[in-house]
Amino acid sequence: MTISTAPAPEPTSADRTPGTARRPARRHRHAREWWLAALLVSPALALAVAFKLVPLVRGVITSMESSAGFGGATFAGADNYLRMLDDPMVITSFRNALMVVATLPVWVVLPLVLAVLIHQRAPGWKFFRAVYFVPYTIAPIVVGIMFRQILAPDGPINAGLRTIGLDPLAIAWLNGRYSALFSLVAVALWSFFGLGVMTYLAGLATIPDEMLEAAYLDGAGFWRRLFSIVVPMLRPTVAYWSVLCASGVLIWLFPLIYALTQGGPGDATMLPEYLVFLTTFTFLDRGYGSAIGIALFVFVAVLSIFSVRHMFKEGTRKPR
Amino acid sequence: MNRRRTLAGLAAAGTAAALLLTGCGGDGGTADGPVTLKVLTWEPGGAEYWQQVKSSFEASHPDIKLEMESVPFDKYPEVQGPYITSQSGPDVMANNAGLELFDRRNAYVPLGEQAAEINKDLVSYSGACEDFDTSKNCYGVPFSYQGNVLYYNKDVLAAAGLDPEQPPATWDEFGAACEAVAATGKTCLALGLSGTFPAYWDFPEIARNYLTEDDIRALLAGTISWTDPKLVSTLEKLAEITTSGWANDNAPSITMLPDGADIFQRGDAAFAGTIISDAVNWQAFGEALGDETLGVTRWPVINPDAPLAQKFSGIEGAVYGVTQWSDKKDAGLTFISWLAGKENGELWVEYAKGQPLNTNVDSALLPDSPAFLKIQELVADPTLHAGVMLSGPEADALARGWQQVTLGQLTIDAWAEQMQQALERSPTKQQN
Repeated sequence: MTISTAPAPEPTSADRTPGTARRPARRHRHAREWWLAALLVSPALALAVAFKLVPLVRGVITSMESSAGFGGATFAGADNYLRMLDDPMVITSFRNALMVVATLPVWVVLPLVLAVLIHQRAPGWKFFRAVYFVPYTIAPIVVGIMFRQILAPDGPINAGLRTIGLDPLAIAWLNGRYSALFSLVAVALWSFFGLGVMTYLAGLATIPDEMLEAAYLDGAGFWRRLFSIVVPMLRPTVAYWSVLCASGVLIWLFPLIYALTQGGPGDATMLPEYLVFLTTFTFLDRGYGSAIGIALFVFVAVLSIFSVRHMFKEGTRKPR
Repeated sequence: MNRRRTLAGLAAAGTAAALLLTGCGGDGGTADGPVTLKVLTWEPGGAEYWQQVKSSFEASHPDIKLEMESVPFDKYPEVQGPYITSQSGPDVMANNAGLELFDRRNAYVPLGEQAAEINKDLVSYSGACEDFDTSKNCYGVPFSYQGNVLYYNKDVLAAAGLDPEQPPATWDEFGAACEAVAATGKTCLALGLSGTFPAYWDFPEIARNYLTEDDIRALLAGTISWTDPKLVSTLEKLAEITTSGWANDNAPSITMLPDGADIFQRGDAAFAGTIISDAVNWQAFGEALGDETLGVTRWPVINPDAPLAQKFSGIEGAVYGVTQWSDKKDAGLTFISWLAGKENGELWVEYAKGQPLNTNVDSALLPDSPAFLKIQELVADPTLHAGVMLSGPEADALARGWQQVTLGQLTIDAWAEQMQQALERSPTKQQN
């Protein structure tokens, strides 16, 4: 067998024809795929534009209008935004929002601990798995009405505290500046933590049992297993739940405020979302209400953006 | 051909589905059927009265059907607001007479010259008209009379060693009575400060001791400052009710309706300041406590020499008007005209046990309860109701400020300052 070193012959025109003919065909196929992709994406895009972008743009436009009652509106430029800087109620509502955001670690950690306990088949895990989710299935407005009775000065919580000799703790929960906000957040947490437990349980199902069992056999306690195995392996789930909570604590509380405190006493539980509603529909100040709404949107977006970026990094990080 | 027919069929089905989904079915009935009027109401007078309204009206107007959307009173603005903002929804709806109605006047069809004709048999209808002036635009039809009194539980007063037939008439007497009631372990005045009820039910009763009718009109126009000594004095006396311990401890965190009224209805409080018609009136309290146990009096007088001190803060009740966006305006007008009539006036008396505005109502139908008869005496000498002159931000700031003053978080001067800021934030009053 010999190997020829002679240069390869130039392709004849007959050889070239199929290649040049293939290129337009490929281009045609690509174009067809592009149009198909566009067709498939377009319903989602249309929905996003119609139900997200258009209302947002409309909100921005309204926030630059001034209206008396429900009458006609006039262009007001940045007046509504400047008004917000001098409005103590707006400032208080955002200060309260920051205090609510400060409770985020509890929102993230508590469901995680409970989910791990259920995952490890702690005594009564089947019962608790079902029970923890029940509050989430109750309409928040009903939860609010329910807790108005439970948190009353002579309600069951205070009665229980008095029965076990903790009289000093039996306070008027919804009367105090800080106790009212704390109570509101606690009720919200009661209402939503079941969703967190379920989210974490879904994430925990992806961790091989052998890994946790090996750690257990190596003598790792509950907290060691939690922080050395569960948390590192659940990072994407924790990040997802954190994002949800970061934005949720600022927009989930409306029905609870509505039913429980109406933003009071005074402005103790006034949060921006309730103020938007109050300003727009009770004070009939649509432009100003929209401006507060846009400020809340920016506030939530800024808060979420860090978590989303972190989540994206976690999600795209290559396994080591 | 077949393809074209299929396409046409699909288009027709799609159009029909779209019409169904968007509710564009014309007048809500078939071409020959009755017109369906959508009525937004908080059912003043109770569900039974409104069932009677529906059946009686439909019986006499077979060409019009009523479809009621009932919303609790304290949630009403939140439901009505989006309808008005989106210029869609009910054909007929209600607002309280006064600023609440005026603030929303653009949502209603002005009655023009028809107002006088429709309302000709009513004692008064100025609360449905701009600036309480019947020569200006009127936006609807009232049929009930409303205002505030102080209900009391005779048994609680007797247990405290007080004369149930001689309830406290002055502010000092009221304070002494509260001390006596507190000594028995009961609450003196059942109160809930969350929401707008303090503005409507308590503020006007104190304000009458400091303001003249001109001042009340200035309050409506937004031309009297909340730092005016008369209004500051009113706030001081309001604060005294809670800071003196006359009210229940949880007053800052509960609403007057239903929470505050419940305290009184349970027999746990001596007094409750509420209204004469609609909910929590003499009839509801009479049913809960017994007609013989229920007493009615005017709020205690602070300044006996004040021109309005012995008057009744009265106002027309709910005003029903036809919405601007309704495409059934004629039917809507027929309905509200019927509301102003004798037939509805008598239903109002018979089923809602309320104070009618129609002068032709058969007096034999009027209740003979002692509380109702006492109310008849009190309403005979009315004055303007200062509460309905407050804008949304003012009513809100009044309740929040009172909560904070009660909890020691705010001074009276700071409260007055907050009220002034609320006045300046009031879209309608800004125009003045």
